Amino acid sequence: MTTSLVGASVPRTDGEAKVTGRAVYGVDYSEVGMLHARLLRSSVAAGRIAKLDTTHAIGMPGVHGVFTSADAPTCRAGWVIKEQHLFAHDVLRYEGEPIAGVVADTREQATAACAALEIEIEPIAPVADITSALDEGARLVHPEWEAYEPAGPADHPRRDNIACEVISDPDPDALLQAFAEAHTVVEDTYVAPRQYQAYLEPKSAVASFREGRYTVHTAHQFPFNVRDRVAQCLDVRPSSVRVLGHHIGGGFGGKLDTALEPYAALFAKLTGRPVKLVNDREEDILTCPSRENAIVRIRTALAQDGTVLARELECLMDHGAYSGEMPWLASVPMHVLGQVYRTGAARVTTTLVYTNTAPTGAFRGVGGTYLYFALEQHMDSCARALEMDRRAFRLHNLIAGGDQSLTGQTLDDAGLLREAFERMEEAAPWAEGPAESETNGALRGRGIAALTWMTNPMPGSATLKLNEDGTLGLITAATDNGTGAVTMGITQIAADALGLQPDDVVLLMPDTDAAGYDAGSQGSRTTHIVGRATATAANEVRDKVLELAARLLEADIADLELTEGHVVVTGASDRRIPLAQVAATATFSSGPIIGSGSYATQAPSFNPGCATGLLFPVFPTPTYHVHLAEVEVDPVTGRVTVTRYVVVQEVGRAINPAGVRGQIQGGVAQGLGYALYESLESDDGRYRERTLETYRLPLACDIPEVEIVLMEHPDAEGPHGAKGVAEPPIIPVAAAVATAVADAIGRPITRLPIRPDDVLAALAE
Amino acid sequence: MRLTLTVNGAEALIEVAPHSTLLNVLRDELVLTGTKEGCDEGECGACTVLVDGEAVDACLLVALSVDGAEIETVEGLTSEEGTLSALQEAFITAGGVQCGFCTPGLLMTLTALLRENPSPSNDEIREAISGNICRCTGYAQIIEAVGSVARQENGR
Repeated sequence: MTTSLVGASVPRTDGEAKVTGRAVYGVDYSEVGMLHARLLRSSVAAGRIAKLDTTHAIGMPGVHGVFTSADAPTCRAGWVIKEQHLFAHDVLRYEGEPIAGVVADTREQATAACAALEIEIEPIAPVADITSALDEGARLVHPEWEAYEPAGPADHPRRDNIACEVISDPDPDALLQAFAEAHTVVEDTYVAPRQYQAYLEPKSAVASFREGRYTVHTAHQFPFNVRDRVAQCLDVRPSSVRVLGHHIGGGFGGKLDTALEPYAALFAKLTGRPVKLVNDREEDILTCPSRENAIVRIRTALAQDGTVLARELECLMDHGAYSGEMPWLASVPMHVLGQVYRTGAARVTTTLVYTNTAPTGAFRGVGGTYLYFALEQHMDSCARALEMDRRAFRLHNLIAGGDQSLTGQTLDDAGLLREAFERMEEAAPWAEGPAESETNGALRGRGIAALTWMTNPMPGSATLKLNEDGTLGLITAATDNGTGAVTMGITQIAADALGLQPDDVVLLMPDTDAAGYDAGSQGSRTTHIVGRATATAANEVRDKVLELAARLLEADIADLELTEGHVVVTGASDRRIPLAQVAATATFSSGPIIGSGSYATQAPSFNPGCATGLLFPVFPTPTYHVHLAEVEVDPVTGRVTVTRYVVVQEVGRAINPAGVRGQIQGGVAQGLGYALYESLESDDGRYRERTLETYRLPLACDIPEVEIVLMEHPDAEGPHGAKGVAEPPIIPVAAAVATAVADAIGRPITRLPIRPDDVLAALAE
Repeated sequence: MRLTLTVNGAEALIEVAPHSTLLNVLRDELVLTGTKEGCDEGECGACTVLVDGEAVDACLLVALSVDGAEIETVEGLTSEEGTLSALQEAFITAGGVQCGFCTPGLLMTLTALLRENPSPSNDEIREAISGNICRCTGYAQIIEAVGSVARQENGR
């Protein structure tokens, strides 16, 4: 019997393609006869197009066409709210909004013609930030908001500059009473910045239009969403669009909604030629659906013994000018507030606000990053007010197995949170405090933060076909955005079930014509959901193989095993037959052996009356985490150095421990960027950071090696017990680091990122 | 204008526009798309190639300024028989590759480092790759990959 592949740190199957430069990414793809397009984008945050003259540009060398709103369908599109045209008609609502497109023989020619478009814009004072958008009498970003239709079957609460409002206030009297009777009331306000996904491969698309159908090549996290959104933008049915995936140079949530694909598709139809469109880095930064900036206010009523009696949370999220998936994400604050610490009576209000800025969207961990930052700083603030130990205060209020979240979802395994605290205690005993500093005069501090997070439940599928040479074809629209979920996780699950090696699995890149629906690489879902579908498919193939092999070997099915590419009679190693022979025999007698599987997590039950506007009511397949950070702060420069970082993470089952480690180390690195360096700042709605020089990303010298403790509590539904892994490690990092910095400097941290100037200002107070 | 380069050991004669960058020539004229364009302004390091043995950002170099130079790209790291270099192998084994878009540039930077300093310390490795951004890995497994190659070399 060979060792199981499940639980083994086998290398990713696309590793060789990637280290040799042979892997074809979206930006590398090209076609014969392909033209190149560029977009003319708004240079202002708000304005009106006074004049747009394309005459000169059309006559420029190599130009095949110049296209504007007059050439695009008149329908409005959007993932949640249908509010957007492909090109601005008249009003400009954010810097970077597409106004026109130029298609030419070369990218240089398209760029030159784009620059030659004659445009006059009358600027309008932008609705630049959340606060001014909510001012009495504020100009509406969308005066016609009432005419917009929801993309789904039902609408949600929205009005004026508010794109979504979630309100949960189940027992106002209990809340009032708790605050009135509290021993201590603590209130804090926190501010969080926008964070750019900063994947290294800029967005791109290549499209063609033939026989009445669009074909779109893109390196995208969610090919089926591209299909649906291109169809929506171009007003055709989804099956009129075929989307083909390529290697993805990082996504982190920034490549879940469509971006350039509908433009490339429209231009392909209008020119009759394949068209390629690639963002330069500035366009990518200006238009990327970054993590939203937000303001979070938390207020807590405390009993003298440290019990939280009641808690209120108000969250204002910046939605930007148009909707991606943000109305769904407005549900996140309600989940965060009640799924780690008990709240007593609770009220949660989330307001998603339109501004004249680029539309915001999903970035790994979504709003959880700043909500947990706010919650954990506030927990410290409460502990200080009561003069309690910070860890003891957390444990006193920690939820337990069987507790309900604020949406009424029962968290059966929430006892794992306490276990995670205990495992952290073994790795880094709290009483010891931070390690001695090697730097003279450095201030040292330590922070701890906990997390409950979900595994995205949305559907996926896999088809496995046993080739006549004994290899296994894997057909799925699941995408590997770099995590290894497909090229390690799913591949290992498939190979293991059939006694094959990972290299025997031949993966078809995503193709929406060939594969069943898949909800994309988001929310750590791929290994859990598509892994489960793959296990089902593999078992079907396995059953068919064993049934035929039993006849060929004249043995009982129960005595057979699949190993090293053979079917073997257990205990009689000379009675064996190559899998290839079984496959070929089947193919030319009864037909090829094929198995398929589909899966989606059944939604846990919740309380539908718990809130209004809640589009995303449950957190399925939760996992539990505790992070600890130790920092040194230089009191002269204000510089923060993270000297130690420990993660305790519950994963269900680690299908590939090295892969899990990569997700945790990489997630923590992104979290450290968010905590200490990264921020898209605006002046009057226009970003200040427009390059990777001014947008400060974490470098090798900034990131410590993360110490990792894995907890494995297999999930009954997950493949081999696996739950989601990749998304959560980024989430509690800002929370842990900020509590550590606050501990070091003896002053609260209320704003991210924690830059040297802010540290010095806090120290000077 | 005419440009002569030796790319991965083979001579190439190319007609180029005066403003073409080395990155344009490699990706568009020679179809060596292993070298990546991440920012086109010398910040991300994805386009790192070796020019006469030195690691440089190909997006910043006007191609004509390196006329006659010897260029090495990621495609040249693998032997003609298809054997991966020790560093390429180590990147795969240690888990130093996730999305892989930064990988070609990192491999070139680190190939240059290991030629100059076969036993770099972890701090020297971090310093060497401070111009190569990796958004996925958090760098630890990349540093391990280099360390494992250094140990192999020293063991010989």
